[in-house]
Amino acid sequence: MSNSEKNKNFWKSLRDYHDDPEVLKLKANEFTDGVTDDFDPSELSGLSRRKFLALLTASAAFTATACTDYRDKGEIIPYNKRPAELLPGTPNYYSSTCTGCSSHCGIIIKTREGRPIKIEGNPDHPINRGKICSKGQASILDLYDPDRISYPLFRRSKISWDKVDSEISGILKKAVETGKEVALLTNSVFSPTQAKLFRELKTAFSAVEFYKVDAINNLTKKDAWQACYDQMPLPGFKIENAQLIVSFDSDFLGSEGAFIENSAAYASARDVKTNGSLSRHYAIESGMTMTGMNADYRLKMRPEAMTEFLAALVNEVIRKTDVSDEFFGVSFKGADIASIAGKYNLDKIKVEYLLSDLIKYSGKGLVIGGDHLAKDDHILINLLNELLGNQAQYDFSKSYASESFSDVRSLEKLEEGINSGKITAVIHYDVNPVYTLPPAYKYHELLKKVDDVITLTTSENESSALSNYILPINHQFESWGDYYARNGVYSLQQPVIMPIFNSRQREGILLSWIQGKFRFEAYHEYLITNFEESIYTKSGSTLSGKNYWYASLHDGVVSLPDDQITLKRFNIAVLPSEVISTASGISLVLKPGFNVYDGRFANNGWLQEIPHPVSKVAWDNYAAVSPKFASENGLKNNDVIELISDEFSIKIPVLEQPGNDDNTITVELGYGRQVCGEVGKEVGKNAFILVGKNSDKRKYVRSGVKIQKTGDTLALASTQEHHSLDDDSVKDIHLIRNIIREGTLEEYKKDKHFLHHEKHEIFSITAEQEYSGLKWGMTIDLNKCTGCTACITSCNIENNIPVVGKDQVLRGREMHWMRIDRYYSGTPDEPVISNQPMLCQHCDNAPCENVCPVNATNHSPDGLNQMAYNRCVGTRYCSNNCPFKVRRFNFYNFRDHFADAYYHDDLFSLLNNPEVTVRSRGVMEKCTFCIQRIMDARSEAIKDNRTLKGTDVKTACQTACPSEAIYFGDLNDKQSDVAKHVEHDLAYHVLDYLNVRPNVTYIAKLRNTHSEEA
Amino acid sequence: MNKYLLDHTLKIRVPIILFVILVTFIVTFYASRAERDGIGYTPDQPIQFSHQLHAGQMEIDCQYCHTGVAKGRQALVPSVNICMNCHTIARKDKPEIIKLTKYYEDGTPIPWKRIHQVPEYAYFNHSVHINRGVECISCHGDIARMEKVGQVKGFTMTACLDCHRNPHENLPYLEKVNQGPENCFACHR
Repeated sequence: MSNSEKNKNFWKSLRDYHDDPEVLKLKANEFTDGVTDDFDPSELSGLSRRKFLALLTASAAFTATACTDYRDKGEIIPYNKRPAELLPGTPNYYSSTCTGCSSHCGIIIKTREGRPIKIEGNPDHPINRGKICSKGQASILDLYDPDRISYPLFRRSKISWDKVDSEISGILKKAVETGKEVALLTNSVFSPTQAKLFRELKTAFSAVEFYKVDAINNLTKKDAWQACYDQMPLPGFKIENAQLIVSFDSDFLGSEGAFIENSAAYASARDVKTNGSLSRHYAIESGMTMTGMNADYRLKMRPEAMTEFLAALVNEVIRKTDVSDEFFGVSFKGADIASIAGKYNLDKIKVEYLLSDLIKYSGKGLVIGGDHLAKDDHILINLLNELLGNQAQYDFSKSYASESFSDVRSLEKLEEGINSGKITAVIHYDVNPVYTLPPAYKYHELLKKVDDVITLTTSENESSALSNYILPINHQFESWGDYYARNGVYSLQQPVIMPIFNSRQREGILLSWIQGKFRFEAYHEYLITNFEESIYTKSGSTLSGKNYWYASLHDGVVSLPDDQITLKRFNIAVLPSEVISTASGISLVLKPGFNVYDGRFANNGWLQEIPHPVSKVAWDNYAAVSPKFASENGLKNNDVIELISDEFSIKIPVLEQPGNDDNTITVELGYGRQVCGEVGKEVGKNAFILVGKNSDKRKYVRSGVKIQKTGDTLALASTQEHHSLDDDSVKDIHLIRNIIREGTLEEYKKDKHFLHHEKHEIFSITAEQEYSGLKWGMTIDLNKCTGCTACITSCNIENNIPVVGKDQVLRGREMHWMRIDRYYSGTPDEPVISNQPMLCQHCDNAPCENVCPVNATNHSPDGLNQMAYNRCVGTRYCSNNCPFKVRRFNFYNFRDHFADAYYHDDLFSLLNNPEVTVRSRGVMEKCTFCIQRIMDARSEAIKDNRTLKGTDVKTACQTACPSEAIYFGDLNDKQSDVAKHVEHDLAYHVLDYLNVRPNVTYIAKLRNTHSEEA
Repeated sequence: MNKYLLDHTLKIRVPIILFVILVTFIVTFYASRAERDGIGYTPDQPIQFSHQLHAGQMEIDCQYCHTGVAKGRQALVPSVNICMNCHTIARKDKPEIIKLTKYYEDGTPIPWKRIHQVPEYAYFNHSVHINRGVECISCHGDIARMEKVGQVKGFTMTACLDCHRNPHENLPYLEKVNQGPENCFACHR
């Protein structure tokens, strides 16, 4: 064991750190109080035990003696005319594009008997390369959501589509005739065909004007780029080539931009087991983010201070290096690194390291800024990259998609138009501005002044509640579409199921107004026509137009010759003159919700239940404050405070987040939906109320915020203190349980074997089982894992894992087969975070197997710890005896137990993976290493008359992992990745001294920090 | 008097009653076993299709109609369009074929009665068995001689394991055959 490890005290929360007696109790008991004592048998059933047994015996006797007739086994109903491509029992795969956010990742939709059941990334797609985030995967739940609107509504009552069409055409015509205006509110448009449709709509009805209402945007970043280089679009980054990454309040691994792509690139530069080297990452942050969690060095700083810190870095770089003539003489007054470090209480050594590394890695580094920073900050970041020659890491072939339709007016114009009475009707084109627009616009007041409000939406929202026409639109898996995902990347979207409800494709609705009548196929044909006109001609393909269309649809993506962009000269005139911040008091940073984004995923139980990667809180947002801030203001976890910014305020519970800046409060957006389905309604608090206008310097940052204690509390459902792995007696003595093993790159370079010096021989008193054939095993590289939770969602969907709800999460009953444990080390002020995906370890000597009284869990000859549900009687002994705490018990039939049996709906049963049992109440379950995928691969191998190989199987978590941290395969195949990883110097098993012999191997995380002597 | 009645009850009546119950139970248990396992279940089908004619006399390969059997989990009961490959011409005037044509033209699927059923918690895969050379006959009996199809073998876990454990005995026609897997995950997941 290394020195650094010996001194490390791992703690899971602040209460843990301070040895809170409650935490100690929690560690002793797997389940929280009340878990085992809220069953009163007399309440559950009116039958007495005696009576029940009597009835049971009587019925058994009846059954046994009743030999009247055979049991009816029902019917088999084959197709009348089976579609040629559809074989019942065998999945079909279709490529499409995810429209969950503006990244436009390519996806492969798996369908069984015509219904989509799983989303995976499209490996041929240049952005996400076969990976897909939690939100994209879980959006399948929204398709089957019974809260979707099933028919058009006029003033809350049912109306026919024909009537809607004629009435709205009337509104449009009338507006044209009277010279009034109809405002169409949309998100940014990346679809060339939709852009063409918008232009045609404008031609047909000149009264229509377009307004863009994206709730989450990076306007300041774009403005800064435009100012610095007088060109668009923004470039992408070669993160994989950067040896040094300095991120300023940027969550590029968590919620900003194409983070799936970023994670993959980031992880490839952190693949120390193959490359032997690591990139170095500094994160300068106001709140603890996923990105900061992965950084080698982290500095805390309030968001307004970034400008002067950046300016000071620029000053230093110019002073210490030979800069080109054009930058000679650039200097920011008052930005002095030493005084700023003092002013914001920064660790001087870290600042020194940062500065020397910036210069040392000139041309090989990269500085990234967060979306919520001011324009000036982004200008300084661009300048810093320019000075250091880091433009080498700009990648214009990956440049972010420029919008296909930018003929839009500002929101100020909208305000003006409505107030003046020029705008008579408003169309919400799949947007929810009543919820997302900052209250400064008073948008709901404005809506009262227009005659007609038309909302196109999949399910009821705040905007539809104030509309007279509500038109149901298709879910993304029921729609056609095309998107310019990137420079030169054209991505196609195809429907994989007929519309479940009486809804229409949103583009089809507009098209029907233009064409005068609706045809189901109209937009499909419109898309093909536009494809042949604009894409086919550009492609230079030798195929016929039709064949090229089908080929492209099959692939899901078309690579077009990209626009060659060369970086223009940096415009030095735009540099800010005033950089010193005068901000004092409390700052508030508003971030897009990691799970719910801008609120569009609020009604998705899977996403609501994924614990936040940093705080591990599910089913809520919260005001994250530093422990110091909390103690200074007399706040505890769960205390509800009122956050006041100017005349707006929200009441929200507090969460002590180690690593937060001491003057900054961080709140996630997208929660607190008032008009929403059963699941998302009033979950968390709506922080959009505090967002500023687009014209503000920092739209998502509020300065001078006031807080007020309300005296109320609201319990946050955090999963962090459940399933505690480390023992309390560990903390104060040097005996660490080796759950997390870490080191530094220096240590590793000096002694490759440093992790295993204290390894002792462990022997068993029984003979070891021999595994001669296949032996399944998994390796997880903790250097690559960023903690993004894509694996958890993938596992949930693949294995029919139920949503249990906040109430049950509070009791520690979440059902996730896989979790990501997050450990803090160091101090609450400067925590270091270690992530560890934890799932069933499929131990060779599994402790759970020995204690099962009915042999429901036992071992397979290929090394799997198997669980036979129909054998399980629910004693929970196995869970009790599992050292990793990865077994999950069905305390209820969670599908009918969730609020009003919401997930018991017939629609949701269409979503279940038919290859996996839907477990019922009273049954234990856990990770199976995706046995259904193994058996599927086995049957394919038998079909092809070959032996099954380890590489034939990919587990659900493995396919989803954006950073490819998870490997799965045959441990007995010595050539395979997994077998090689097990032999690696950095490989270790969690709790190996228990001699349980886990089959999940972890690759220890190394940090690329400066060694103490250096 | 009281004592005598109690004695009588305990010594004679109760044992007799218990014995009678036990015997009835044992007899009915074994007598009804076939029914419980579904052996001999031969339901009436919506169309009186004869396997004896098609598979027996005409020697049409099983896989001509049961197209999925070597490809995936389910053998597949044929969709009506497969029947119509021949019956748009063959025997168009017979009453059963007229019924069949009507189903086809109406676009309604035929509600065939299910005969063989593996419990829903067991995941049986036809293709792995067929591709290893196991004949249909080994589980489904001599279908080619059945005018009306019925179940001849048990579909219980014991029945599966019997063959998995003693493949040579049960599948004598296979020269090279491994033991089938006996672990839980082979069928249950």
